[in-house]
Amino acid sequence: MLGRYRFVLFRPFQLLPVMFGISVVTFILVRLIPGDPARVLLGARSTPTALAKIRAQYGLDEPMITQYFYFLKNLVHGEMGRSTLYKIDVLKLIATRIEPTLMLVFFAVLLSLVIAVPLAALSARKQGQWPDHFARIAVTAGLGFPQFWLGVMLIILFAVSLNWLPVSGYGKSFEDKALHLVLPCLTIALSLSSVITRSLRAAMISGLNSDIATAARARGVSENTVFWRHVVPNALVPTINLLAVNIGWLIGGTVVVESVFALPGMGQLLVRGIFSRDYMVVQGVAMVFAVATLLINFLADILTVALDPRVKF
Amino acid sequence: MTILSVKGLSVSYQDKVETRSLLEDATFDLGQSEILGLVGESGSGKSLLCRAIIGLLPSTKLSVTSGDVVLEGRSILGLEEKAMMDVRGRRIGMIFQNPTSHLDPVMRIGDQICEGLFRHGSYSKQDARVQAIELLTQVGFPDPARAFRSYAHEFSGGMRQRAMIAIALSCEPEILIADEPTTALDVTVQAQILELLLELRKKRGLSIILITHDLGVVAQTCDRIAVMREGRIVEIEEKRKLLSAPQHSYTKTLIASHPSFDDHLASRALDDDIVVEEPHIKPIFEVDDLVVEFNAGKSWFRSKAAFRALAGVSCQIFPGDTIGIVGESGSGKSTLARAMIGLTPITSGDIAYDGAVLTLKRDQALRKLRREVAMVFQDPFNALNPRMTVEAMLREVLETQGEIARNAIDSRIDELLELVGLDVSFRPRKPKSLSGGQCQRVGIARALAVNPKVIIADECVAALDVTIQAQIISLFKELREKMALTIIFIAHDLAIVRELCESVIVMHHGRIVEAGRTEDVFDNPEQDYTANLLAAIPNIDPDKPIGTRTVARAIQGN
Repeated sequence: MLGRYRFVLFRPFQLLPVMFGISVVTFILVRLIPGDPARVLLGARSTPTALAKIRAQYGLDEPMITQYFYFLKNLVHGEMGRSTLYKIDVLKLIATRIEPTLMLVFFAVLLSLVIAVPLAALSARKQGQWPDHFARIAVTAGLGFPQFWLGVMLIILFAVSLNWLPVSGYGKSFEDKALHLVLPCLTIALSLSSVITRSLRAAMISGLNSDIATAARARGVSENTVFWRHVVPNALVPTINLLAVNIGWLIGGTVVVESVFALPGMGQLLVRGIFSRDYMVVQGVAMVFAVATLLINFLADILTVALDPRVKF
Repeated sequence: MTILSVKGLSVSYQDKVETRSLLEDATFDLGQSEILGLVGESGSGKSLLCRAIIGLLPSTKLSVTSGDVVLEGRSILGLEEKAMMDVRGRRIGMIFQNPTSHLDPVMRIGDQICEGLFRHGSYSKQDARVQAIELLTQVGFPDPARAFRSYAHEFSGGMRQRAMIAIALSCEPEILIADEPTTALDVTVQAQILELLLELRKKRGLSIILITHDLGVVAQTCDRIAVMREGRIVEIEEKRKLLSAPQHSYTKTLIASHPSFDDHLASRALDDDIVVEEPHIKPIFEVDDLVVEFNAGKSWFRSKAAFRALAGVSCQIFPGDTIGIVGESGSGKSTLARAMIGLTPITSGDIAYDGAVLTLKRDQALRKLRREVAMVFQDPFNALNPRMTVEAMLREVLETQGEIARNAIDSRIDELLELVGLDVSFRPRKPKSLSGGQCQRVGIARALAVNPKVIIADECVAALDVTIQAQIISLFKELREKMALTIIFIAHDLAIVRELCESVIVMHHGRIVEAGRTEDVFDNPEQDYTANLLAAIPNIDPDKPIGTRTVARAIQGN
């Protein structure tokens, strides 16, 4: 009955083994980081007995395989283990930190699309003319600037010199939060929109030269209608997949941006976790990032099926 | 009454380096509800002429340099874009060669028809739907309401072309330009589409310009024929006059190259006593109850029914035979050939090549087979490596095969080129500087390089112009005489098969429906399917009707 959407029912089951694999990999990789969480936690006050006590408390003295089974057991119960640094369950910890990251990703992607779609359309329809040249220079620039540098520059310009926006951090009220998010979102959007613009422009140009467009023009359809009704829908399909892959990257990339703007999100949590050898936090955040990436690609597949009637999974 | 007249239209290509004339002084009139056939080889400027008429030249580097296009007394050449948009579609509609690439894949067929309705008429949403379904009925969709909400990919090539015609009709044009509308279709489907065009002319008084490279198609549908070559209309005449008394030498060549049917009967009769059947010879290929199934796609949670490409095929091919395998696309003829040379996994059954059973001693049989059997492919351009010279391609095969001494390879390359009628000066050339026919000759030379006993040619002339087709066919004939080759010739064009092959296998839905000597099968087909296939072939005789309605229906019903 669901027709081409049947895969929506089955895909989650296919994701289970993938998530199992991810859990194994993150678990092992985290423990490859040199250093001892107990020593980091106790710092200068560490005595052999205190170290042993901490290790026993967090199960760090057990063999790796046993630790992994504890980790799995906790997951089944909806827990991710206790953070050695924050002393609370990692899942609860993540819940308090997820909002800024979600907001950041969502609005950054939205802003990227708002920039990319008109820019690509302008560029494709004025191919070889000055709007196109301008757009292509902007795209190349956007791809060239690294985010940590771009973020700092934006802070200097809009926060320090012009004093329009807050320098860093995250607000309390909705408006305050929104203001704090503008610069981080812009930092991400400037590079993400460049990637999207480039692919969308190429797809639109090939669409404008396609047989579909010729056939529509031969029916007396106006150039505007040809573009928006026939070229754009066909150009969106490949772009959605590109976007999904890039959002996957972006989720990892929030680590950099959140550090630059001191946003109390998951990226920042991850960095702290790594420095303090907080195994539970690192593997927890890594799991959440991985699952988010899977979900985004799942959504992209659903969207592709909706937009292109030829696609089947 | 003349509805459209083109007067001395010239189009040229201009870039920074050069100016080339692509269309010179084209002049013709199109009468009310007349069908004008525009015939010529690829590159002769047929499509360009029509694109120039509706003001949609395919590149900005092309421009109309002189001449005029007059539609009902009004020049439309200099019209500004906005006025031209009302001419396109509404006055002059167009359908194209490849419906698959010209239909919007992500838009419902119905919406594409409604787009034309809304653009050129005033319809409410409800009326548009009713009218669109009416149009879909007219062009022969058995379930028009369903077709309305379907997408292009859900239909076969023939139905897609019908959909494109319906879309063109939605603008209610007075003139329809059909650019090779049937070239990509099977003969039987081609006959249906041509009939549909004739019917629409009768019902709507539509004037049609039919572009094609197949003289047979125009002979049976058009009133007048214009022959184009190298950007010029070399001859334009009422069709009977043109076919019976061609004036221009090129028209004569074109008519002579058409693999038409009837005049070969006489020459065939003469050959008959030369070809003696020798049943005591061991067959070179033996196919026994061959079944090939393709999995239509499997995943963890569902398995689709397998698609049966071949459903129990048995045949024998004798050395020195020239055997044609014919059938519509999807009938399994290519699958059979691919299975015979071990390129497709066999589900069940047996194939033996020269006594070696492919299913039993696969490696051994394949080694022998690949040494002695060569393949010539459909698309001559894509079958050649664009980065390699002709010489390098032949050398590669000869060196891999390793049967000829290194110092003898050079002279062998010359020999091969001569064999396929190419000059030695072609050695350093690359595919992009070769014409389609020349490419195919190189492909054949490469096949011959292994000194094969058998050549399998898979639709090897389908992509070529008729005059080139004729050349390649006579090359095959020559090679057969010289080298005692066994040729397995796969084609959907029955006229060519008749011309070349001694025996023929007719396939349909993965089965052999009929097999035997070519004359027997073609003159007295035992199966309806074969008869239908034969009746659908466009004939150069203008008085012979294209495949009758009953034929079309019978095929459709299958």
